Amino acid sequence: MAVATDQVTLQVDGVSVTVPKGTLILDAAKKLGIDIPIFCSHPKMEPVAVCRMCLIEVEKMPKLQPACAIPVAEGMVVRTLTDKVKQYQQGVLEFLLINHPLDCPICDKGGECPLQDQTFQYGPGASRYDFQKAHFDKAVPLSDKIVLDRERCILCWRCTRFTEEISGERELALIKRGVHTIIGTFNDEPAQSVYQGNWTEICPVGALTSRQYRFISRPWDLDRTPSVCPGCAMGCNIQIDSRHNKIGRFQSRENLEVDDGWLCDQGRYSFPYFQRDQEFGSPSIRRDGQLAAVSYPEAVAEAAARLQRAGSSAAGWASPGATNEELFLFQRLFRETLKSPHLDHRQQGIHETDPEDIGLPIADIERCDHVVVLGGQEVIDAAPVLHLRLHKSQRHGVAVHRVDEVKAGLAAVPAEATVVGVLATAARRADAITLQNQLVSKVKGSVRRLIVVRGPNGRGAKDLGILPHLGPGYAVLNGRAGRPRAEWPKAGIRALYIYDASPLQEFGATEAELDWLRSLDTVIVQRFKPSVLDEYAHVVLPGRAFPEKDGTMTSMEGRVQRIATGIDAAHVWDDWRILQAVANAMGAGWPYRTSESIFADLAKAVPAYAAAAPAQGRVLWGER
Amino acid sequence: MSLSQATVEKIQDYARRYPSAQSAILPALWAVQHEVGYVTSDGMREVAQHLGLPASLVEATSSFYSMYLTRPEGRHDAVMCVNVACALRGAEELFAYCEQRLGIRDGQTTSDGAITLRSTIECLGACGGAPMMQIDHRFEEDLTPERVNAIFERLRTEPAPSPEPPRPAAVPPTPTPAAKAAPKRPAGGSRPREKKADT
Repeated sequence: MAVATDQVTLQVDGVSVTVPKGTLILDAAKKLGIDIPIFCSHPKMEPVAVCRMCLIEVEKMPKLQPACAIPVAEGMVVRTLTDKVKQYQQGVLEFLLINHPLDCPICDKGGECPLQDQTFQYGPGASRYDFQKAHFDKAVPLSDKIVLDRERCILCWRCTRFTEEISGERELALIKRGVHTIIGTFNDEPAQSVYQGNWTEICPVGALTSRQYRFISRPWDLDRTPSVCPGCAMGCNIQIDSRHNKIGRFQSRENLEVDDGWLCDQGRYSFPYFQRDQEFGSPSIRRDGQLAAVSYPEAVAEAAARLQRAGSSAAGWASPGATNEELFLFQRLFRETLKSPHLDHRQQGIHETDPEDIGLPIADIERCDHVVVLGGQEVIDAAPVLHLRLHKSQRHGVAVHRVDEVKAGLAAVPAEATVVGVLATAARRADAITLQNQLVSKVKGSVRRLIVVRGPNGRGAKDLGILPHLGPGYAVLNGRAGRPRAEWPKAGIRALYIYDASPLQEFGATEAELDWLRSLDTVIVQRFKPSVLDEYAHVVLPGRAFPEKDGTMTSMEGRVQRIATGIDAAHVWDDWRILQAVANAMGAGWPYRTSESIFADLAKAVPAYAAAAPAQGRVLWGER
Repeated sequence: MSLSQATVEKIQDYARRYPSAQSAILPALWAVQHEVGYVTSDGMREVAQHLGLPASLVEATSSFYSMYLTRPEGRHDAVMCVNVACALRGAEELFAYCEQRLGIRDGQTTSDGAITLRSTIECLGACGGAPMMQIDHRFEEDLTPERVNAIFERLRTEPAPSPEPPRPAAVPPTPTPAAKAAPKRPAGGSRPREKKADT
């Protein structure tokens, strides 16, 4: 309970409510469940009060006041339902609609449009305006991702404020003035931002829409599935919107601790990679140099027989885009069934890892007083939404230092610093630790680090021991360590199992590795879409894309989050089922029927994950 | 195309005069317009670079104001006020006369590139001398067809006005020697004045 002086009590529509000083009338009313209509106001942006939709009556104030911009005061009496307020709401909507084309039947926003909804709820019902409407450009390409309809725009400034306050890029501006005002980029140049998809989500009308989703679906026809973005290790929460069993778009699903409600365009617009827009072939076995279609049991039996022949000289590579459940089984297949220690999920570099790499949770960046981004833009490129968190932190007074060298990072942070964070990509992990150690001796406060790993489940792959030298839970493998991928061509490996779970985090073979693949007795490729590796494979096992399966993913900060099946692909075996069938063909006897049952065993092997189990539903579990 | 060293220095000088570089956008844009003749997108980009501001903000500012030109215009800018006081004193008829005399319509430039004629301006605050027009940076008041003829004749041969950006508010305005020397109310009724600094 805060001190009484920090609290303000006011009345909204006759009901008393106590809120912290500085709260806006809009938010105080929201606390009571009283909905005041808005267009320009946005909870993550400073108020501008340009749309006038939220006008309400405040006793002793002569005119109606914008609820989105007026802070509460002690004893304030607010009325949101009077005839005068209703008359103004009708008036504002009537003005907003004067030049609005009302082309809702062909507008992508129709059905989820605040202007449409609020016109229905608060509007005048009919227009009295029978003059010619003002005409502006329609379907203006703002970039290769966004199309702008200038007639639909109601000039709420949300998108321009996003580029100013949220991303800091200031790409969009209000050009010209008065009735001629339009939204645009400088000199009509294509927008470059990687956060443009967010503009379409905050636009309260159909002015800014995604080219990818253009005329794809009506919102009420969409099936919505909560999931996690497959793009990078950030772990942004998404919603898979699908229609007729096809992905229509990815939308944000606000998780204040992770994405703060935003997505980057790499993630948001990545869905065509996961679209099953055609059949991707059945399981197949190479016979006389050609891949021949077979059934799953035949392909599984062939794979198991070949792996068994290789035994401990088999190696396994699993994508950091696979789920924890799949990775756990993959790891068991090699360590337990084949007794092979040669496991990896990495590409070329050999990056070490340990649990301290997740010492700084994403949301805690805001609570630091100094943050060093070692590598600058390369860290942002690896996890773009991180930039929005850093920009927000900077606006709230956190000193963010983007440096290339350890020395510069050390010099940037003063000795008085109390809470310091270090961010770096996995490639610069060693430097990040050096910097962290040097900072620990320099500053009086704490220093934590967060390493941006590769792939949406790169952290899970490390946690679960898809590494040659560490078992599940970073268990040290005294004397039983395998060889890393980079050394496989010279390590006497006879069979290679590639689980290429995601088109965004592929095996990515080098020329030398492809030559090596050609020389191997056995190459087994488990993948979603046909890939270059098929050409080298002796067994091809088609699996599912991430929207087609369920399970958990562990983000770079160690947050275990659930993905759910949004697209039905029942005719394709689930990837964990393929892995289990291969192991069982070698006598493993695994009994799993669902991914949840795998998770239960996984949590026993890696106790940190037990806290994330659905039953407890807390700590690392980010599912909401 | 890039701006001359002199213009760049002027812009940098404006940037130093204000606590916020944003305040220097207007005078910096004037400097561009005086050098190039209008506000080019390259010019806006350079202003943004020199002031350390996003280019979109510079365009937002320049497009807000009607006195920044967005395309090349004549050597001289003739803008006639047709607001209420001037209109009552026959400005609209006089503007039609100007159009006929120059053989161009509102917003166009004479074929010799000497004069751009416009009536798209709001009251210039010289109602006492209505009808009036602004020639480059000077007011011409108490206009008659004869006086308009004389002005246009003069402009046909006169070179473009020298770059004379309005002084930013931080510096107290000092009248130019020409303005000082000019009689307050010359016999012909013309009263040249320096244009106000604000847009």
